Amino acid sequence: MLRRPSPLAALGSACAMGWGDRVPPRHSATLAAVRPPGPVGIHSCGGTSARTHGAAARVTGMERLGLGIGFGLVTGGVLALSAIAFTLQYAVSRIPNLAFGELLTYGAYTGYLASRWTHNLAAAAAAAALTGSVIGWAINAGMIEPFLRARVRTSAIFIGTLAVSLVLQNIILLAFGGTSIAYPLPPEDSQRVGPFIWTPRDEQSLAAALVVMLLLYILLRHTKFGKALRAIADNRDLARVSGIQAHRIIELTWGLGGLVAGFAGFVLAVTLGTLTPTFGFTFLLVTMAAAVAGGLGRPQGALVAALLIGIAMEVSALYVDASYKLLIAFGLLVLVLLVRPAGLVAGEGGRAAA
Amino acid sequence: MTAYLTALATEGCIFSIMALGLNVIWGWAGDLDLAFYGYVAVGAYMAMVTSIGRLPAPAQYVLGWHLPFPLAALIATASAALLALGVGAVALRRLRAVYFAIITLSAVLMLQTVISDYTPLFNGFDGLYGMPQPFNDTLHLAPQAYSVFFVGFALLCLAVVYVLLDRLSRSPFGRALRAVREQERAAAAFGRSVYALKLTAYVLGAALGGFGGALLAASQGAFNPTAWPPTETLDLYVAIFVGGMGNIRGVILGVFLVLVLFQESTRFVPALWGNPNVSAAVREILLGVMILVTMRYRIQGLWPDGAQRVRRPARPAAGTRPVLLEVRGLSKRFGGAEVVRDCSFEVREGTVVGLIGPNGAGKSTAVELITGFARPDAGVVRFAGREIQGWAPDRIARLGLIRTFQLPHEWPGLTVLENMILAAPAKGRDAIWRPFFAAGALRRAEAADRERAADLLDTFGLLEHQDELAGTLSGGEKRLLEFARIAMAQPRLMILDEPMGGVNPVLGARIADAIARLVALGVTVVIVEHDLAFVERVCDVVIVMALGTAIATGPLPALRADRAVIDAYLGEAAVHA
Repeated sequence: MLRRPSPLAALGSACAMGWGDRVPPRHSATLAAVRPPGPVGIHSCGGTSARTHGAAARVTGMERLGLGIGFGLVTGGVLALSAIAFTLQYAVSRIPNLAFGELLTYGAYTGYLASRWTHNLAAAAAAAALTGSVIGWAINAGMIEPFLRARVRTSAIFIGTLAVSLVLQNIILLAFGGTSIAYPLPPEDSQRVGPFIWTPRDEQSLAAALVVMLLLYILLRHTKFGKALRAIADNRDLARVSGIQAHRIIELTWGLGGLVAGFAGFVLAVTLGTLTPTFGFTFLLVTMAAAVAGGLGRPQGALVAALLIGIAMEVSALYVDASYKLLIAFGLLVLVLLVRPAGLVAGEGGRAAA
Repeated sequence: MTAYLTALATEGCIFSIMALGLNVIWGWAGDLDLAFYGYVAVGAYMAMVTSIGRLPAPAQYVLGWHLPFPLAALIATASAALLALGVGAVALRRLRAVYFAIITLSAVLMLQTVISDYTPLFNGFDGLYGMPQPFNDTLHLAPQAYSVFFVGFALLCLAVVYVLLDRLSRSPFGRALRAVREQERAAAAFGRSVYALKLTAYVLGAALGGFGGALLAASQGAFNPTAWPPTETLDLYVAIFVGGMGNIRGVILGVFLVLVLFQESTRFVPALWGNPNVSAAVREILLGVMILVTMRYRIQGLWPDGAQRVRRPARPAAGTRPVLLEVRGLSKRFGGAEVVRDCSFEVREGTVVGLIGPNGAGKSTAVELITGFARPDAGVVRFAGREIQGWAPDRIARLGLIRTFQLPHEWPGLTVLENMILAAPAKGRDAIWRPFFAAGALRRAEAADRERAADLLDTFGLLEHQDELAGTLSGGEKRLLEFARIAMAQPRLMILDEPMGGVNPVLGARIADAIARLVALGVTVVIVEHDLAFVERVCDVVIVMALGTAIATGPLPALRADRAVIDAYLGEAAVHA
């Protein structure tokens, strides 16, 4: 009998499961809090998504849509952070970073450790962001930039980022084992906010995402660093000959991207309630879908696409089996690319495709 | 022990076939396809549903036929190819690089979700089992003997695939593919349809993947969605990358080294600290380190894709008939800016025409519009009596209008002689089937091309470099190669975009000489150039462009007196000249 265990089995199983494992616990809890638990069980499509389904079936169509959009905003908010960070790193180096998911993972695990020691979510968030930042900076300085300078083919560097991802991911696997870790957080009641139903934690993560995005906007639009970053994204060589210290800006961008990614990883882990070594890599797939649909290298595009994808995934999860979420995300991406090959927010002249 | 070794050898052969398929897509055509393992899976599933017959009751799946293995494998291969045709036709048309990678990734994720969820197709998540051992219904071998037989069978399959691909890699098809990989725009400028070539490569690669899948199903007897996480494709990438991207021998080496030897050896890492994942984790960490070490110290892989030698010898080229290019009312707007605005001019047969104008006058855009690299918003381009506006660049090139680029677009990873041969009119010679059918005619045509190529290289003073990779030439030599390539293509009209750009001015005389040679061969020439001294030396007629439109035409000395021209451009230059 010849059955080769996949060398990437750890990655693989996460992919095979899709992003479905992200959904249920929180949302079904949310719904259960809204409506007293009743007999559900008509839907046999498995586990918690069935409960989501069943509970949601007892609210009106419009309410249900509102629920989905509410969840979608929370998911989309985290996704937007992650996609913007990804797209910024891409913008300055033009390399899709497959090790990006590990920035989320490391952020989340650091946040977990920090919150266990300090019992302070703010400290945990800071630690998570800092870890992501350091690793993001190191990936660029240690691998991407040297290979770019050596004029290595883009596709080879792409494979290189995969290698980095393998190494980082399996270090976590060695250190923490493969089983999922529960994030120790007190349960919360959810409340109605207009048409949406959120827990305080949902509101916090949405607010955090908004604040970070606002800060990023100011940074990119109104500072010298932001201008330099956009100049490099537009034309690296031209920026360099116009006296911009491209090297420093690129390093800073990777650090900044890591900072945001680490933070996003932490927020994601808190909203999910669990951690696994592959959780970042799995989220990377959706992140890439959002970043690409938005037009790679364009933060505004990533934001719009992330919200769109987040909402589409959560709304769809109320109607069809949650395991189709990833499918919805990618289906949306394919649709966008077929209509607008350079992404949703391709600027004039559409240089994003490069 | 023998059982273990035969199992390893079988595995190596099957994965080699798959890796060779992916190598056609990535190593030759340069496309980052992440859907590849989907084609393997489709092959495996199709082989099974056409040969396992009916499974007991709770299992649900289509067909349930009892075909013999060769037929099942054929259907498997064809199904994978068909699916790839569909995916490739959409994804390859407009998307490049990262976008292509991500679209193919989504395609395979969707495929997997559908197959896992929809039981009537391939029994959903539980998958299929009970694949009969190929040929054993006639052989009736004992398990031990059969496994030896199966290694032999897998090896035979690998050998056939190897011979087929080896032949293809040295054929015009293989060469054209590598040209597309190295420099897409140049390949199009010389009449190669990038899309058709890439799609052909994609379908061929997927077909090999499907065939590999059929073999995999036969060797394992069962197949289900957990056996093919989409990330499995990345494994094959690692093997190709470490072995030597593009080189079929290197790829096989990579598979046996990385996927068989390396992975097996790390399986013996003990489980430490009660963590059952240690062995798997250590294996993957080492795999990652191995990729990074390869990148750092031997980026081309252990056994790189070497320069393909082409043999040479001698005969003169025939002249071609010069024709007229007519441009009427050409316009193009990018966003708010109208870069080319109602531009009209004509180029007479057998002349050398200079196209000059200040920076931003729209010269380069006009060239892009005429040669099909950009689509005009309005206007007519008539070449050789046909309206060609809006045509694809490769189609225009085949009509005999060839351009150069501001920077030389040689195919750096191909030899100088290969660069030349690729420039010869394709005439369907790089069709994938040609090395297998009508091979004699192909050989004769190739021999004639080689002669002409060597001859032209001699004329342009590059013969001594013929077996060097074009990427290693100096800037001036690359420019000369570009001209030699054009001469090889026998165009009726060529448009040179700043031939003196990036060239040591000392070489000016040599370049002018090269252009004169091309004219002597009967080629009409349009030169876009800033160097007015050079233009004056080479061109009979000059067209002046300013603000997106042609404002004057005539011999340069006469234009120096033209008021409009002086205002627009020459004033300053004429004083300095």
